[in-house]
Amino acid sequence: MSPAPRGGTRSATASRDAKPGGRKKFFVRRRKVCKFCAEKLEYVDWKDIKLLQGFIPERGKILPRRISGTCALHQRKLQTAIKRARSIALLPYATD
Amino acid sequence: MRLYDIVALVTPDLADEDAQKVTSEYRKLLTDGGGEIIKDEPWGRRRLAYTILRKKEAYYHYFQVSAEPALIAETERRMKLSDQVIRHLAVRADLELKRAAKMTARLQEKAARRPPRPPSPMPASTPGEAPTMAEKGEAS
Repeated sequence: MSPAPRGGTRSATASRDAKPGGRKKFFVRRRKVCKFCAEKLEYVDWKDIKLLQGFIPERGKILPRRISGTCALHQRKLQTAIKRARSIALLPYATD
Repeated sequence: MRLYDIVALVTPDLADEDAQKVTSEYRKLLTDGGGEIIKDEPWGRRRLAYTILRKKEAYYHYFQVSAEPALIAETERRMKLSDQVIRHLAVRADLELKRAAKMTARLQEKAARRPPRPPSPMPASTPGEAPTMAEKGEAS
């Protein structure tokens, strides 16, 4: 029972996203996926600097969810991980 | 007993061996206090991301210990007082790890349940072959 209606809604949203009509330029925006969900990394390790560095732009700030596409749960974990890494100078608080 | 991650940064002013002596002091403290050291990793001399006490480098040392809270409090107190340890961090690790294990288990369970997926969006190309199945698919 359940799979058919779910499939239906999905196709509906897809058709809404891809508006063929109208002369406006439009981009086929790739849907962002949470990195941790995709790779099934449940534990965000604050010792893994290479991983965390991917979420730190040049200025040293934490990359916002709206850009990285991380889900709310993992963004929270990531946030604490980055803050811990910062406290022992593995990552910078700020750079310029 | 709880699991803790402890990282200590030892001054770069010391020689390698002296820095190791400092870390071994804490190792002794932890083991004598009834803690069990699970991981004991020297990360070596690393560049700091920012200067601490005008120092640009430090010896990092990482312990993962299973111990009582009081023992961790004591080691933290000593690290705070010590001039050789310029920075330290001690955090609980078991809660997060347990949660992560639970989540991965749940994901695996979900994945195991999924595969027998019914072919719901029936392709309409073969109408003569199995009409009953196609009807079922549309109805549900």
